[in-house]
Amino acid sequence: MAQMTQSEPAKPKRPNKSVSRRPLEGVRVIDLTKIVAGPNATRMLATMGAEVIRVEWHDQRALDLLRGVLPKAPGGEADSLNRSGLFNNINPGKYGITLNMSLPQGRDLFKRLIAKAAVLCENYSPGQMERWELGYDTLRKINPGLIYLQISGMGKSGTYNDYLSVGPTAQALSGLTHMSGLPAPMPPAGWGYSYLNHSTGYYGAMHVMLALLNRRRTGRGCYIDLSQTEVGVMTSGTATLEAQLTGQSTLRYGNRMPAADWAPHGAYPCRGPDEWITLAVQTDEQWQACVAEIGSPDWARDARFRTAAGRKAHEDDLDRLMTEFTKNEDRYELMHRLQKQGIPAGVVQTAADRYLRDPQLKERGAFVPLPHSEIGTWPIEGFPAKFHTMPVEVGGLPGRAAPCMGEDNDAVYRDVLGLTPETIAQLREDWII
Amino acid sequence: MNTEAALSAALDGTVVIENGDERGEFAGVLLASFGADVIKLEGRQGSPSRRLGPFSSSQPDPEQSLCFWRYNLGKKSVRLEADQPAGRNVLERLGQRADVIIDAGEAADVDRRLGLYQEMRDSNPRLIVCTITPFGLDGPYRNFKMTDLTQLAMGGVMASCGYDPRPDKMYDTPPIAPGMWHAHHIACEHAVIAITAALNFRELDELTGEGDCIDVSIHEAVSTCTEVALPSYIYNEKIVQRQTGRHAGVGRTPPWLRRTKDGRYVKAFLFWGDRDVRIITEMLNEAGIEHDLESDAYRELAEHSPSEAHKRFSTLIDTLVLSMTAEEVFHRAQAKGLLWASVRYPEENIDDPHFQARGTFQPIRQPGLDRDLSYPVSVATDGKRRVTAFQRGAPRLGEHTQEVLKQAGFSDDEINVLAGQGVI
Repeated sequence: MAQMTQSEPAKPKRPNKSVSRRPLEGVRVIDLTKIVAGPNATRMLATMGAEVIRVEWHDQRALDLLRGVLPKAPGGEADSLNRSGLFNNINPGKYGITLNMSLPQGRDLFKRLIAKAAVLCENYSPGQMERWELGYDTLRKINPGLIYLQISGMGKSGTYNDYLSVGPTAQALSGLTHMSGLPAPMPPAGWGYSYLNHSTGYYGAMHVMLALLNRRRTGRGCYIDLSQTEVGVMTSGTATLEAQLTGQSTLRYGNRMPAADWAPHGAYPCRGPDEWITLAVQTDEQWQACVAEIGSPDWARDARFRTAAGRKAHEDDLDRLMTEFTKNEDRYELMHRLQKQGIPAGVVQTAADRYLRDPQLKERGAFVPLPHSEIGTWPIEGFPAKFHTMPVEVGGLPGRAAPCMGEDNDAVYRDVLGLTPETIAQLREDWII
Repeated sequence: MNTEAALSAALDGTVVIENGDERGEFAGVLLASFGADVIKLEGRQGSPSRRLGPFSSSQPDPEQSLCFWRYNLGKKSVRLEADQPAGRNVLERLGQRADVIIDAGEAADVDRRLGLYQEMRDSNPRLIVCTITPFGLDGPYRNFKMTDLTQLAMGGVMASCGYDPRPDKMYDTPPIAPGMWHAHHIACEHAVIAITAALNFRELDELTGEGDCIDVSIHEAVSTCTEVALPSYIYNEKIVQRQTGRHAGVGRTPPWLRRTKDGRYVKAFLFWGDRDVRIITEMLNEAGIEHDLESDAYRELAEHSPSEAHKRFSTLIDTLVLSMTAEEVFHRAQAKGLLWASVRYPEENIDDPHFQARGTFQPIRQPGLDRDLSYPVSVATDGKRRVTAFQRGAPRLGEHTQEVLKQAGFSDDEINVLAGQGVI
């Protein structure tokens, strides 16, 4: 098990003025998001130093189902809402409060939080905020400078505005599912996870930060209606353009390179079970170096393969012959041999490979040990860049992994809303927080 | 829709210099879509992406590459031999008025230019320098030669994407790179997050605000984008297995991808358990498809042999879906509250009224082509208008050299000398 150390429960820290200034210093974000797309947006904002306050409740409408999904940290109570490894990885650096929004008193408290916030991020089902009478028109009267990021599968305008969506829905509709896989008659392979949950979070974060810049300049907040499906459309490459020109439907290319005569270009089996290496030969020089490195077998010196155009034209044969070679090779040894000759080659790494056998990720500190109040310290995926000056930390202001359910109720309701301990206790008693 | 929301001008007045190869081009596009003035530096041969297809012409033509058009929308092109001494001087002067430099490519190539960028930051401390390289600027793999494909492999995306194994649990199909350029998309999206954070950072104190140097690793970016794969291993030492048309899992899950009457596919799956079962039963009844889901026998099967019951239920979903076209399945299922969708070709969205109403696509005309092409340009609205758009298409090689140099204070004589030296 990869737990780093069994630490004492983390003590949440309030923003400390003595800490170096962070890019989003002073930006308070109310986080009414669930699953991955919304929480990933606020994860980025927390990493950049925003004070992100996650608002949750115990009923099915407001409970993040991610709190219950596998994998879970071993041990503990089976029904604990605080042990999901995926939730922990998606929600570090945030404060956590509970708030019963289905009660009028809960909605009143929510409005008071909005009055003290710069940003609201929300990705509830279509129409939920309006049913609570908490739509943008209401909230901007409370806080005219509010930046309201609303994430949905299709977008809140347009003819599908009440359609329901999760990552696979958006990936199918956008075209990304169709584009992934071996050529027909094989079916699409699609994406083996909700890619658009990740990337929609990225776009959410960048839109909010641009809105913050815009507000510095204009003094105005704004409403951002972000569509997960449109993120998929945005990342569909040249497919839509090519189809408009040719009138032909977009094809799938497997792992081959449709945009240039790069060959061999694909995933090739290696010695172990389900072990693969990818090769992407871009030039004749790389090919010649590759042939030399693999011992100049007769087949590789075939005249058909001498030029890029020839290799592309005979790619089926080339792949078959290359497979005969790679299937007896150790994947990492072969990668290092080919890389030494300047040939693009990379092992198809599993999560275990990345975590255990990737010296690059290790040396760059890609996994950040962060404490969690119930499950101890675990590695969390960090932000994939180094900064010379700015303090950018995935643990955010609390210096911690994900919050437990309602972990920061006392601190947030006291420090942000100025409530007394007695009031907070009464709210808890009344099942409002 | 033909107007843009106010946010489309969030970066008005922000000058971005883009250097290097195709790995960073999407970052420049995203910044341009918010109004930044993105100046692309290209050598005599033009950017490598000009040589990538598909081409609108019958023969490869650097001015007719759809790949270049897509990833260079809204930018200006300056022809500059930036590695020559005189070219370095030009770049240094351009940097005086720049807010951001993006430089993407092999680490060794980018490294050579870092000294110059540091000098530029000395004279313009507000400058933000963002490098995008395969593994970042340090570490044991920093000089590995990579492409989008090999990055998707090393970063873990491919290990989750592909087809079901055989019944003996062995795979006879390879892991799949799910489409082109996604490693670059992911890295560039992180680069833009980092750059916009730095732009905010710079504004914390208007008098002393400084820029930063940002070192984006494509490998790390891809590796953070595999959802449950890493937590599954880190917490439970389980490795997810790839499956056809659905999420990779630590165990086999029922199919989601199903054929329709018109030979297309839909994603049809259970998300909310009993609620979805009730809806599907209703749809089966409406379609006149015989079933025993409401019988005591089925209920008993579900109780004592849930996997058998699930198989039977899944077969009924297959039958239901096969009775309709993909678009019928999509709209009827959504009308009833299921999260199903048709597996569309990306181009099928261009004429869809939903995306037309939202302004997702923008018609743009490129020189040399006698028609507009619709480009995806926006992922959000302000409730009425799209948030991002482009003022122009992709530039011709060197199209804006004179304009940009003059804005930077170069005289006509200086420009002529540089042209004579082959620097621009």
